[in-house]
Amino acid sequence: MGPSASPAGHFVVLYFAAAASYTGKTSEHLASPMAAGELFGRLEQLYPGIRARVLESCAVTVNLQYINLDGDDAEGARVLLKEGDEVAIIPPVSSG
Amino acid sequence: MSATEPPTYQPAVPSTPITRSTPKIHVELTPDPLNPQEATTFVRSPSAGATVLFIGTTRDSFNDLPVSSLAYTSYAPLAINTLYSIAESILQKHECTKITIVHKLGECPIEEESIVIAVSAKHRQAAWRAGEEALEETKKRAEIWKLERFEGGEGVWRANRDGVMGVRVEDEGIQTEGGGVNGPGTAGTGGT
Repeated sequence: MGPSASPAGHFVVLYFAAAASYTGKTSEHLASPMAAGELFGRLEQLYPGIRARVLESCAVTVNLQYINLDGDDAEGARVLLKEGDEVAIIPPVSSG
Repeated sequence: MSATEPPTYQPAVPSTPITRSTPKIHVELTPDPLNPQEATTFVRSPSAGATVLFIGTTRDSFNDLPVSSLAYTSYAPLAINTLYSIAESILQKHECTKITIVHKLGECPIEEESIVIAVSAKHRQAAWRAGEEALEETKKRAEIWKLERFEGGEGVWRANRDGVMGVRVEDEGIQTEGGGVNGPGTAGTGGT
């Protein structure tokens, strides 16, 4: 996994914990470019119900940096997901 | 679809430890058994008069339900950055001498160590406070997930934030490649 693994015109999305259970995958490639604000909608199309069940309690990172997708005018929504980016869906954590 | 895992699910974990170290900070995610003695040895220093060691072990129940086994998975490249950043800020804030945070990945049998934190400081008050804060920050922020398997049932991804069990949903309409009792065979995560 990782940015170099993406085919041309795609970024990779990593799924962890409940997100991996729901999708049945640990990662997949989606077509780039895409505004980050459209990501959850795209995933809802692919996995009906995932938004309410999983994504609404998740954070999102792009190339190991968190972006803010909370609220309709969140600045993170305008981040462009580009070819080769590594995007990750981060469910609530549970270490310890 | 389900946000739970079948009893047969095995999380992907790195085969070797992932570490980040400086002379004063050591953070690590490891598939190997944890060694508390190594942690206290790392934080030893002639300028420190106190060492606090915290060992977290896996418990056999959650809300009185019997837990048969646990497994941890992680987004390792991000989690190691987060652990390092926690260690660095605590070292500064509490004027500690050295700190180490080590977390287990993969299967963790009941009553074995899942996290070890050691911190040394000139005096005991700073070491106590730093040790507690390091644990709380790690539980709050480190990108590590615990799968609790209940006796006779499937695994449930836990969330520290709300302290409640993950959502169980009906099995109807599962769209996984494997299907049946063994799928989603590809589910779960791994840092590598």
